[in-house]
Amino acid sequence: MIEATAGFSQETVRLASEAKNEPDWMLDFRLRAWQHFESMPWPEPTDEDWRRTRLTGFKLDNYAPYSTPNGAANRQDLDPVLLEALDEMDSAASLIYQDGGLLYRQESDSLAGQGVIFTDLQTAVQQHPEFVQRYFMTEAVSPDANKFTALHAALWDTGSFIFVPRNTAVTLPLQAILNQGDGVGGYHHTLLVAEEGAEVTVVDDLMGAENAFQASVVELIVKDNAQVRYINLQDFQHTAWNFLTGRAVLGKDTDLRWIQVSWGSRLTKAFLDLDLQGQGGHGELLGLYFPTRRQHIDHQTLQLHRVPNCFSDLLFNGALKHRARSVYMGIIKVLPGAQKTDAFQRNGNLILDRSARSDSIPGLEIEADDVRCTHAATAAQVEDEYVFYLMARGLTRPQAERMIVQGFLQGVLDRVPVESVMHKLEKVISRKISR
Amino acid sequence: MNTVACSRNCEELKTNMSTLEIQNLHVAIGDTEILNGVDLTLHSGEIHAMMGPNGSGKSTLSYVIAGHPHYEVTQGDILLDGESILDMEADERARTGIFLAFQYPVSIPGVSVANFLRTAVSNVRGYTSKESAAKDNGVIGSNLMPMRDFRRELNTKMKEFNVDSSFARRYLNDGFSGGEKKRTEVLQMAMLEPKFAILDESDSGLDIDALRVVADGINKLATQDRGFLLITHYQRILNFVKPDYVSIFFGGRIVKTGGPEVALMLEERGYKWVEEELVAGAVPV
Repeated sequence: MIEATAGFSQETVRLASEAKNEPDWMLDFRLRAWQHFESMPWPEPTDEDWRRTRLTGFKLDNYAPYSTPNGAANRQDLDPVLLEALDEMDSAASLIYQDGGLLYRQESDSLAGQGVIFTDLQTAVQQHPEFVQRYFMTEAVSPDANKFTALHAALWDTGSFIFVPRNTAVTLPLQAILNQGDGVGGYHHTLLVAEEGAEVTVVDDLMGAENAFQASVVELIVKDNAQVRYINLQDFQHTAWNFLTGRAVLGKDTDLRWIQVSWGSRLTKAFLDLDLQGQGGHGELLGLYFPTRRQHIDHQTLQLHRVPNCFSDLLFNGALKHRARSVYMGIIKVLPGAQKTDAFQRNGNLILDRSARSDSIPGLEIEADDVRCTHAATAAQVEDEYVFYLMARGLTRPQAERMIVQGFLQGVLDRVPVESVMHKLEKVISRKISR
Repeated sequence: MNTVACSRNCEELKTNMSTLEIQNLHVAIGDTEILNGVDLTLHSGEIHAMMGPNGSGKSTLSYVIAGHPHYEVTQGDILLDGESILDMEADERARTGIFLAFQYPVSIPGVSVANFLRTAVSNVRGYTSKESAAKDNGVIGSNLMPMRDFRRELNTKMKEFNVDSSFARRYLNDGFSGGEKKRTEVLQMAMLEPKFAILDESDSGLDIDALRVVADGINKLATQDRGFLLITHYQRILNFVKPDYVSIFFGGRIVKTGGPEVALMLEERGYKWVEEELVAGAVPV
């Protein structure tokens, strides 16, 4: 169905690595990943994971394999859109990526003093090779997880390395902004290591990618007693193909909240896993989506309970407009011995147009006998009676519809830990309803 | 109360006087005619009770006045101070001063009472001008009533109308008991300060204590510059709210109008009497 052509080859991988002056170990890593990529078949509609999300129309050879960075920019030269994204949030540090490289960096001095590392991954390869070798696609997401992670591992370009040392709290969020270029493959990576007792909030703000594709990976390593808040805010152009694979690995007595927002792209397929490896782990995976026009948004989640006494809560709420389509597939998997597991999984869809469609396939695979696991899926329409009630109190029709949709999404919005991000989400919801 | 009792501020009061006129109103859904020529004039300062059996079209009348889009007005008109409101959407009617208290208020999870009411009050009081509403699609947060002023007024009125202050943060009607819903409707009426309030069975499903609270609220709001159409199945609420007029609604129209004695007559003789005495000989409906 899809052939990798001359644009994507082992030679391309070599060239991409060479352009970054990478050490041999990273080149070798990339070449091994490329072999995985070549040996793995493309997803077929007969694969369970891809039954409802087809790659019809996606051809690798429509895209340049990687971008060439233009070097750093000064603040005054930044695109207004990037400046706005930068300024709307009060952050401890911010990194902006564009054209496959780091464009701009802004940080407070205190971070380095605390021993916190927040840098672009290419720099981390040079300056912190021991960390990258230890954690990069080793513990959370492996290169051969799927076809797109293999491609990502071979060609990864932008991305952040975040390391928060033991018992260190970063109070303000760390912000990474990606403005992906047009017509090109992008491979953004987020690698977070929160050591024992660390506390941090990280926001990935993804935009751009006109007529492009993005194959990103998120890896969150949350060690014992650490607390992590992670927000992945995807607002790509509606011409972008977006493939995301993310996994959080939770140690003992950890506290993780992952908020996945999927506003943009023509098509998104996201694999998101919570991997509970230490007793007393608490993981929340929350999702928001609002496809319009012909957008297609697919989230596939796994709550993997390996050990006893863990809690996981998943809530994905989406509204759909026009001829949009959403897919939610989720599994709560409780391995033998993971007693006293407490796990929830809920997916709600609010359908604003009859031509929109949502599929929801929740699931349980439970191999322990003393657990509490519940799941629920709902699909509802905006009732005329709701709109009339609000209008009879003086709200305009757009106000009434927006309030109903926002109310529906509020369950997730209420749990967004960064106020500026919440306001930004509310603005996008307004924009999508008005459109 | 045909003439308004005004002493010192008579002139001022007159300028606040309004009239809601329903003229020969015929309403249908599809081929089914539900209202068959309703005539009713309501002035500021009046409480007009409308009593009728289930299915007589009382709720339809209230929906049509408020502008529900499902009903088709096939004949007749509704005038507010001489101007037809039939072409207005429900929100425009609310802004001109029409309020409908619903028999069954809907629950809207995720939307807090305060957030919703602030938007509603801001629109009705003109903080969100029509122009800006059209331009920004009525963006929430543009031209809202200042938060402090709104909060202060809401708190005061919540106390006055026996709504616990925690309700401001609660989701609209979500998990409210029947009585809490009706009290919240009265609170909304107090905040929106309409010229005419149509109360659709605000007494239904309430125990005597809840009924008393709702009736107290109505009495507080029954000022000289406001008219009430009190739609009810039972005479019970009229023990607490004294109407100026009582009409009997039957078969999609008003079959009798009189003073409070009509309600007592109805209580005594029942709707059977209406059918036999008042509708017999009239056009079958």
